[in-house]
Amino acid sequence: MPSLIEPIQVSILAMAVIFLVLGILIVVIKTLVHFLPYTAPPPPPARASAPAAASGSSQNEDHIAAIHAALAHHLGKSPQDIHISNITSL
Amino acid sequence: MDFSFQDAISKILHSTGFVAIEPGQGVMILIALILLYLAIWKKFEPLLLLPIGFGCLLANLPLSMLANTDDGGLFNFFYSGIKHEILPPLIFLGVGALTDFGPLLANPATLCLGAAAQIGVYTTLIGAVALGFSMQEASAIGIIGGADGPTSIFLAAKLAPHLLAPIAVAAYSYMSLVPLIQPPIMRFLTTEKERAVKMEQLKPISQTVKIIFPIASTVIVVLMLPPIAPLLGMLMLGNLFRESGVTARLHDTSQTHLINVVTILLALAVGSSMTADTFLTLNTIKIIVLGLLAFCMATAGGILFGKLMYILSKGKINPLIGSAGVSAVPMAARVSQKVGQETDKSNFLLMHAMGPNVAGVIGSAVAAGVFLSLFGSGDASTGHAAIETLQTITTSLGQ
Repeated sequence: MPSLIEPIQVSILAMAVIFLVLGILIVVIKTLVHFLPYTAPPPPPARASAPAAASGSSQNEDHIAAIHAALAHHLGKSPQDIHISNITSL
Repeated sequence: MDFSFQDAISKILHSTGFVAIEPGQGVMILIALILLYLAIWKKFEPLLLLPIGFGCLLANLPLSMLANTDDGGLFNFFYSGIKHEILPPLIFLGVGALTDFGPLLANPATLCLGAAAQIGVYTTLIGAVALGFSMQEASAIGIIGGADGPTSIFLAAKLAPHLLAPIAVAAYSYMSLVPLIQPPIMRFLTTEKERAVKMEQLKPISQTVKIIFPIASTVIVVLMLPPIAPLLGMLMLGNLFRESGVTARLHDTSQTHLINVVTILLALAVGSSMTADTFLTLNTIKIIVLGLLAFCMATAGGILFGKLMYILSKGKINPLIGSAGVSAVPMAARVSQKVGQETDKSNFLLMHAMGPNVAGVIGSAVAAGVFLSLFGSGDASTGHAAIETLQTITTSLGQ
């Protein structure tokens, strides 16, 4: 049977190198993420000029937001693609 | 010129493949048909096994001149793409364009799982040497444990070209069997409590980090392991196409048309290397057995390191994501998700498993780089395929 000392030595050395290289990448990633944190994109400018929304009623705003999201989902579009231009209370 | 009807018939009959076929070719045609069956009817990696099987079929039809060693034959040119390290790096370009490094960047500790899964490579290396292979051959066989087809082909072409066919077939066959090989090992090595761990939602990553990472990692890894530059460089370039946001056309081409074209060329070239004299040997059987060992050990290595991370993180990391460290993107990550949901249907591990899955791609490329540094051609000026090609062209022009 061939000597297994050489492959065992190679295996230990290679695993050490792999952990070293990937360990360095971990440090690089953590540094990048630390100095360049994620910032949420600014919300799109409010275009709704509905009297109900402008009235300051937070409950109405929540309803409009929910309807807006549901409508966008139903139509298969992004909520940003649907602009509310007018709301009339019945 | 005298024309004899009988002579003409005889000449035509003797020019057919039927009179030239040898028993070995018959067996190889049968193997090609099995590969086609597995690809078409069993859906085992059909995008690769189908062209590999058909390439094998064509290469073994007598007088077809389509074996990779037939000078001037069509597949001989395709095979040059492997020999001169062109096709595997181009596949990596497409893989990079397809891969989102976001989950890895959000949880960089998962890179350790990609490293731990490489244990399969090294246990197989030891096993291969025990079975009588040289260190170069054993390295090329061991990398099957990286579960990364292009890396296996890249390394085999450099260290053991005569074993390329069985290594490529073993690598792709076992990759297609990941959903069958991994789950029993995952269940055996984890408790129900560990499998039920729900991981925290991944943090979003800034686009700038996503752009800088492929550049920084290329510089660091290639400086440490120069021989791996073709593979890693193309992987990161493809990812930069994706993340930069300014090369939409190149990104689109890399992840669709280019990778498809290169896959066809690569698979046919591999198929054309499956000739009786290289494939019908005892070594092929040994490689098939060692390939299975490589996948099992890689899965176990990832899971066991996942268990260690589970303990160190006080139960925040689900060890099941460790099995995705074997590469095989994205199938291994899907297996983690599936096994996790067997315990808790509301547990979604897919995105968490994508981190080690991508880390596995980088890890197996690094493992290949270590082998090339140890056993590849030491002289970069004479060993590099591009230099060889240039020298060949210069010589041809001079004649």
